[in-house]
Amino acid sequence: MPPALQNPITLWLLLTAALAGLVYAFMREELRVKAIAYGAFLLACAVAVWPPYERNGTPGKIHLGLDLRGGIHLVMQVVVEDAWNATVDDAVTTARDQATRKGIQIGPVQRATATSFTVEGTEPARVKDMRDLLRDFFRAGWEVRESGEGKFTVEMTDLYQRQLKDQTVQEVIRTLERRVNALGVTEPLIAAQGARGDQILVQLPGVRDVEQAKRIIKTTAQLALKLVETQAASRETLLSGTGGRVADNMEVASGLGDTPGEPVYYLLRKEAMITGRDLKSARVGVDENNRPDIEFSLKATAADKFSRDTGRNIGRQLAIVLDGYVHSAPVIQGRLGADNNRITGRFTTQEADELAKVLKAGALPASLKYQHQLTVGASLGRDSIRDGVRASIAAMAFITIFMLFYYRLSGVNAVVALAANLLILLAAMAYTDATLTLPGIAGIILTVGVGVDTNVLVFERIREELRNGKTVSAAVQNGFERVWVTILDTHATALIAAAFLFQFGTGAIKGFAVTLVIGLVANVFASYFVSKFLFKWVLGKRHVESLSI
Amino acid sequence: MEIIKNPHIDFLGRAKYFVALSLLLIAAGIFWIASGHLRYGVEFSGGTQLELQFQAAPDVDQIRAAVERVSPGAVIQTYGDAKENKVLVRISQEAPEADLDAPARAVRQALADSYSPNPVTESSSEIVGPVVGAELRQKALLLTVLGLLFQLVYIAARFKGGIWGIGATIAAFHDVLVCLAFLAFFRFEITLNVIAALLTLVGYSVNDTIVIFDRARENMLHRRKDSMAKLLNDSLNQTLTRTIISNGTTFLAVLGLFLFGGEVLRGFGFTMVVGIVVGTYSTLFIAVPLVNWWYARQESNARPARAA
Repeated sequence: MPPALQNPITLWLLLTAALAGLVYAFMREELRVKAIAYGAFLLACAVAVWPPYERNGTPGKIHLGLDLRGGIHLVMQVVVEDAWNATVDDAVTTARDQATRKGIQIGPVQRATATSFTVEGTEPARVKDMRDLLRDFFRAGWEVRESGEGKFTVEMTDLYQRQLKDQTVQEVIRTLERRVNALGVTEPLIAAQGARGDQILVQLPGVRDVEQAKRIIKTTAQLALKLVETQAASRETLLSGTGGRVADNMEVASGLGDTPGEPVYYLLRKEAMITGRDLKSARVGVDENNRPDIEFSLKATAADKFSRDTGRNIGRQLAIVLDGYVHSAPVIQGRLGADNNRITGRFTTQEADELAKVLKAGALPASLKYQHQLTVGASLGRDSIRDGVRASIAAMAFITIFMLFYYRLSGVNAVVALAANLLILLAAMAYTDATLTLPGIAGIILTVGVGVDTNVLVFERIREELRNGKTVSAAVQNGFERVWVTILDTHATALIAAAFLFQFGTGAIKGFAVTLVIGLVANVFASYFVSKFLFKWVLGKRHVESLSI
Repeated sequence: MEIIKNPHIDFLGRAKYFVALSLLLIAAGIFWIASGHLRYGVEFSGGTQLELQFQAAPDVDQIRAAVERVSPGAVIQTYGDAKENKVLVRISQEAPEADLDAPARAVRQALADSYSPNPVTESSSEIVGPVVGAELRQKALLLTVLGLLFQLVYIAARFKGGIWGIGATIAAFHDVLVCLAFLAFFRFEITLNVIAALLTLVGYSVNDTIVIFDRARENMLHRRKDSMAKLLNDSLNQTLTRTIISNGTTFLAVLGLFLFGGEVLRGFGFTMVVGIVVGTYSTLFIAVPLVNWWYARQESNARPARAA
């Protein structure tokens, strides 16, 4: 094709001009406007559909659903409580720090539920100060209640909870988008769904390594570098010095030790020196022993802090904690900068590669729970499309033969209308980026059925009028007129049913509803208006004695 | 060419036998379903379904022996074209939410370990957590009922009489029940695709009914002297050729879907094949007789009133 014709609009204009020329040369005047309008519309549809499927590297215009091309469909629930918990934990730290700064003596401050925390044992003389402090710091989004004896309960408002939930879901979606991009998936779909809006739908068509994709999606990837206080072979030995208690600013994590197969327990500073948010980039590399590791660099603001903190703690161990698990705890050898930092552990190359990808894409603000998972192998998808197409062609061939046999020349009319209907249907799908699923193919077959019904309704009515002694042109005119109301009512009720199907929201069924809705609308145009036009054209002004119907 | 020349069949006169037949069918269906014969697909019941393609012809007994060890009670059956070497494995045990994959992985591992001469070349899987299944069941029911309700309102408004809407809706409801009975009897699973087919049938059945109602509405305008019964029966006869041709072609189209559409569309195809027959039947023998009965009752109520 010459380059000028690559542009669909130029192509369409040229084709339409050619059509207009033909219409002016061969068609009667009163039909010309309609002929050009209908023709131009159908040509636009043809241009929009071309090429329908992938050829020589040019992607096809009809998007295949993952049941036809293979891939993964996942529905996951965002554990919103994680985000609430984290926010409450931050608030607990703030409350404690601020009280210390103001010199107010308080008892334990701790999380009560996922959305609230309590402050107990405020010294009686300073209850008012503490109240003011809490009211001041937790003004927006929180509610401070006082239950006497220096006890306060601070709880998130419902509005703030909802806001946090929405924010979390949005952040999960953005993070997943970045991760999926790192996987190199074309046409992924990542969207919130579900009645409470806390479910996330991920569709990755054409993905081959399902397991890898799932690992990359699900890893929370909360990275933190934390100073190690002590380490021991078991939790009990680790805490024997403090009588089993973990101090407020400390935490215990298990992880890899120096000998493989033996877990080590670490007592860590709760406050992280660096978290995943401070990362600028991450990529896979090799350490001095040629083992795979992850090299990362830091954002400018974090680099200063990191350099200062490492400089102050030379000789101490820094634990690399990923999703609560210590991968290694190297000794700080000197002041560290923004670049050339490494996460070492016993990684395989693939593990290191996946970790680098998820670290770069950022952590999930909350963990995910799988609820529904559908994977379709690529060749199984191809089998489905072959079966579906075979069934469609069988149905279409049968209907064409029957209509030509039963309605003779008028049957040609019906076949043209059917072809136009299918063309419009495919064009609308290409134009709206709708995906063709297996039930969608079924929807197309059903559309063909409805299209045939419209033709049969009209043709039978024309025959009836002819039997009643009407002239051919009057019979055609009456036939179309009388059937119009019926077509309107039948299509309206079918559209109501399709609209409810659409509400299902599930991929495949939605595809079916989409084809059905478009097909119904296209059918009114093709089987009624185009068909009526064809009758008028063939019958013309001449006085026709008989009709081939 | 015409199928039937000028038919004069007394549909309404014979309706009572068919209504009895329908009631019998539905009662049997409800009994059959209530005694637990309706099988839900994995998307509704929760659990795991694996579609495995083997390199060579699979030996179901050996596969069963391997799978039984990790997942007792799994259903194993060959599937699709014999030369495609496909096997379907249904694992009933609930997949834990934390690791939905675990049962599927265990089965794949077990096959790799003890059925190694014939490896799995490709697999598809559907894993549904327990929450989703229950939610979806409710949603399917709600949407079907709402869809019917809205259609009822539309028809009642267009035909200016509630009975027309009720007639069409009862016929559609009848079709859904009869289809469910058939699905249960022939041991088809209720999958999302089947639900889609059922909802489509509701639309199709109502479509069929409206064509005839519409003809009756037109006849009512021109022939005010005739009784409603005669008018309705004539309408059925006038549209009979259309009923046969339209439904016949659609029937054959969905029959093609059922026979050649592959395993995934089989349930869908079956529902449509049954549904189109039942939908046509219900228009002739349920919807129209219902409207007739209603008008006959009104006429007999009105007459004594006028006499008095």
